[in-house]
This record gives sequence, C-alpha cells and structure tokens, in this order.
Amino acid sequence: MKRLLIFAVISGALIGVVEAQQKKAKTEKESVKEEEVLKVLKDGLSQDPRFAWKIQQDEAQRICSQYSSREEMPAQAIQRVIQLSQSEIRYPQWGIYMGDWKEGKKLVDSPRGGRFASYGFSDKPTDKGGNCYACHLIEKGMPGGTMGPNLYQYGKRWDITKENMNTPEGIEKIKAVYNIIYNSWSAFPCSSMPRFGYHGNLSPEDVANIVAYLLHPESPVNK
Amino acid sequence: MNKKLLLGVFTCGALAGILLSTKAFAQVEGELSPEEEIRLVQEFNRMLAEGINPGEVWYEVGKEAIKKYNLDKCDLGLGPGVFKGAAAQLPRYFADAGKVMDLETRVGWCLQKYAGMTQEQVLKFVRQCWGKSGNCVSEYDGIIMYLTMESNGHKIKVNLKDPKVKKMYDMGKKVYYARLGSWDFNCATCHAGQKEVRIRATRLWSADRPGEAGNAVSIFPKYLVRWGMPMSMHYRYAECIRQMRWPEFIPHSDLGVALSTYLYGLANGTEIKAPGIGR
Ligand code: HEC
Ligand code: HEC
Repeated sequence: MKRLLIFAVISGALIGVVEAQQKKAKTEKESVKEEEVLKVLKDGLSQDPRFAWKIQQDEAQRICSQYSSREEMPAQAIQRVIQLSQSEIRYPQWGIYMGDWKEGKKLVDSPRGGRFASYGFSDKPTDKGGNCYACHLIEKGMPGGTMGPNLYQYGKRWDITKENMNTPEGIEKIKAVYNIIYNSWSAFPCSSMPRFGYHGNLSPEDVANIVAYLLHPESPVNK
Repeated sequence: MNKKLLLGVFTCGALAGILLSTKAFAQVEGELSPEEEIRLVQEFNRMLAEGINPGEVWYEVGKEAIKKYNLDKCDLGLGPGVFKGAAAQLPRYFADAGKVMDLETRVGWCLQKYAGMTQEQVLKFVRQCWGKSGNCVSEYDGIIMYLTMESNGHKIKVNLKDPKVKKMYDMGKKVYYARLGSWDFNCATCHAGQKEVRIRATRLWSADRPGEAGNAVSIFPKYLVRWGMPMSMHYRYAECIRQMRWPEFIPHSDLGVALSTYLYGLANGTEIKAPGIGR
C-alpha cells in the first residue's frame, strides 16, 4: 500500500510533466506582484500578535498559491512540496505506535480547532480539533462533507487486523497514514487537507490517536 | 423608527424566537445539531414558499439611517445621492479617495466624510451586530441593504476596462488563490473547481462553474434565518476567513475590496436580487 501511494504520487508527477509541457505557452502577463498581494493580505487581517505568524507564507504555501489545481503543477513544484513536507514530519517520542482511538475520535469530531474571532463567537484560540467531518464521511450514518474521500472502513482498506497491527508490516501502514494526517502534503502536495501536525494544530500523540481511530479494528470507523 | 417598522422588526423577532425556541442556538456556523439543521431548512423553505423575507425590514432602517448620517451627500459613482442602480456598477475607482472601492468601503468613506466618524468608529458601526445572532438590528446593515436594494433588477457591471479596476480584479484573483495560515486554506479550497462538493451538509459554490459566482454575490446582503438578521458581503468574508483560521478580517480593507472586485467582476451581467435568504 505504501508502494501504491508512492506510485500514485510518481505517476501524478508524470502527468504533471506532460500537462506542463502542453501548457508551456501559458505565460500570463502578471499585473500584480507577489509582495503587493502579501501586503494586501497582511493589511486586511488583524494584527493581533498572537496570530501574526499565520500571515507569513512558507515556501510550500507559496508554491501551492501559484497553481489552481495539482494537475497544473509542473513535476518540479510537486517534488519540492513533497520534499519539504516529508522532511519536517515528526514522530512521537517512542516512535510510531497504535494510539487510543477514543481520544482520536474526540479530535476528529471537534470542529472548533484553530478558529477564532473577537466578534462574539465562543471559539478560543486554544481549542483543538481536526474538523475532519467537514470534508470526510467517516462513521456510518454520520453526516459529513465530500471534499475529501469517504473514510468509512478505512482500516479495512489498509487490511489492518488485530493480528497484524503490531507486526512490522502493520507498523509500516500505520506510519503511512500517520504521515498523511501529520502532513497531508507529503502524500498529496497542495491538497485542501490542512497540514495538521506541521502547523502544530495537532501534536504527534494527537495524530497517533487519530490514526488509531481510522485504523483500529475496534474503532466504529471499521464496524 | 416609525411604528410600522418597529412592528416589522418585532414580527421578525418573534419569528426568529419561534425558530430558536427549543434550545439556545449554536452560535458557531456549522455547529448545529442535525435536528436543528432540519428544522431550519423546513422553516427556511416555508419562508421561501410564502415569499417572506424579513431582510426587507432593513431597507426601512437604512432609509432612516441615510438621512440621520447625511449619506444623501454620498457619491457612489453616479453623483451625490444618486442611488438607483449605483450599487450595480461597484466596485469602481473613486478619484476623490484615490482608490478602487466596493459598496461597503465607499459607505465607510462617506460615513467618515459626512457623518464625522473616525475610522475606528466606522469599524465599530460596521461590526455592531457581528457574532450577535438573534435580532440585532444594525443601522449599517440597513444602509447597505437600502443601497443594494435600490439596484434590484439592475445587472452587475463592473468596469474591468478601467486599468485600476482591472488591477484590483487581478489582485483579488491572487488573493483568492493565496494559501495562508495554520490550516493552509485559500478561498479556492472551498469555492473553485468543477467538482461539486459539500462541507458537512452545505453545498459550496464555485468560481469555476458558470453563473455560480453571480448567484452567490447578487443576493447579498442575505438574510440568515438562523441569525435573524442579514449578512453583508464583508461579514461573509469575515466568516469565511474565520473558518479558514486566518487572523480576523478587517472590514473595508483593500483585502475586502480586492475580493469584491474579483467576485463582482466574475458576476458581471447577473441581476441584483437583494435580499437573498438562507438558513
Ligand atoms: C479541508 C478539507 C479536509 C479536512 C478538514 C480534512 N481532510 Fe482529509 N483529505 C482531504 C482531501 C481533499 C483528501 C484527498 C487528498 C488529495 O487528493 O488532495 C484527503 C485525504 C485524506 C486521507 C487519505 C485518504 C486515502 O484515500 O487514503 C485521510 C486518511 C484523511 N484525509 C484523513 C483526515 C483526517 C483524520 C482529518 C482530520 C484530522 C482530515 N482528513 C481533515 C480534505 C480534508
Ligand atoms: C472552509 C471552507 C470555506 C472557505 C475556505 C471559504 N468559504 Fe466562503 N463559504 C463557505 C461556506 C460553508 C459558505 C456558506 C454557504 C451557504 O450558506 O450556502 C460560504 C459562503 C460564501 C459566500 C456566499 C454564498 C452564498 O450564497 O451565501 C461567498 C461570497 C463566499 N463564501 C466567499 C468566500 C471568499 C471570498 C473566501 C476566501 C476569502 C471564502 N469564501 C473561503 C465556506 C468557505
């Protein structure tokens, strides 16, 4: 499965190359400069020092901002985003393990993480959650979004069983899913799915718990 | 406020009261329980079927407020106090301000000039009902409602041949695709592409599907049943930006103008039909 993912990424990259060549004549005349855009963004958003760091674009965001879809990205850009994203993945102190799916479920359910405005809503900057249902269908019968793929029975898709989940092979699979959730762009460059671990929205332990929620044979996801 | 108006406000207050009777309603967008969602949709469908739009009450509020704040001197581009069809040609370049402005930004400018407000006072005026769902009546929302409804039936015509407007349009497009913040969102995450997607139960409009940007912006301000008040375009930007986990949006900023120029530019040719109504 991990190979499959890598293959998917590489073949994605190849498609990218072909399309980039087809579109090479598309050098649009730019009337606005990047610095001007960043200034407009900065001046239009609150200067609250707690959130000032959010206005700094990192290199991967800068690359992704240039393309309206992954299909438009040249192979080089795809590779750079993957490289940047893979290089910063951090693991729990004791390495990869199957976390606690009950804890994971709480984070998956909570829509509140990271949202804040001073004008009356009750979100706090410290609230934590992945809001995964906004984009994914997950447990059977629970309403969810369709921006991302359906994750119902995700553990079965990876063929995780009680018997194999602690074997080296099982751990490899857990790691592959961990990487997707810690930094989605390591597998799906410029995806709409946020890089939860990279930005510190979720800690390595949080991510491990979410992985358990998606993969553990006892989790309602796989019932 | 006259008596009829008060009655109107009261009626729509009572309406909202019924809507929200069972439970103090969840203030955070997208945090309603499925039962509440269903009830709101039913209520919303009923209003739609009966042709009730409580948002129209704000037209009267705005008419009074325009007198109160001397906005009959305000020039939206067709001359001082000429409001019929004026909102339809915004955003545009204003030589007196030396800037491209959209409707809300221009109203803010006029409030400073003719009502003697400071910029800070204007921002407070704009945000007086933000986050306060449940029958908050804002004169600002009234003014924006009045001025927009004076363009009902007119087609949006943003002059993209004006290089200053075109530049703001290009800026807006760049902003639309800028990935930013701790959740890596841009506007296009939710409002672009050919594939139709839902975020939770809400179907999202896309700038890439023909007519959808027009349908989205031509009905603003939009009356929200769950809040019992209309939402102006800049409030909509603020709410989307809150969902995006960016720092808080500052109304009347160039960021707002750039987004409006891009979206209303895309919407050119669409007839204005304010107020819209949504759950
Ligand atoms: C804003 C939208 C969004 C949010 C929020 C989101 N995802 Fe995703 N997710 C996606 C998209 C889109 C993809 C598909 C990847 C791609 O092609 O870009 C995806 C892919 C995935 C995959 C890989 C699926 C596969 O086919 O193997 C997993 C696992 C996943 N998401 C889990 C999560 C979890 C867990 C959360 C919350 C902590 C989450 N997602 C939050 C949009 C989102
Ligand atoms: C995380 C998802 C998300 C992002 C990112 C997002 N929006 Fe939205 N947007 C929504 C939702 C949800 C609605 C509500 C749709 C409804 O109520 O029908 C909405 C509604 C709107 C509407 C009004 C449509 C209508 O018919 O009511 C406009 C205009 C809009 N967004 C503009 C923007 C702009 C501009 C940006 C970027 C600054 C943006 N959005 C970013 C989710 C998002």
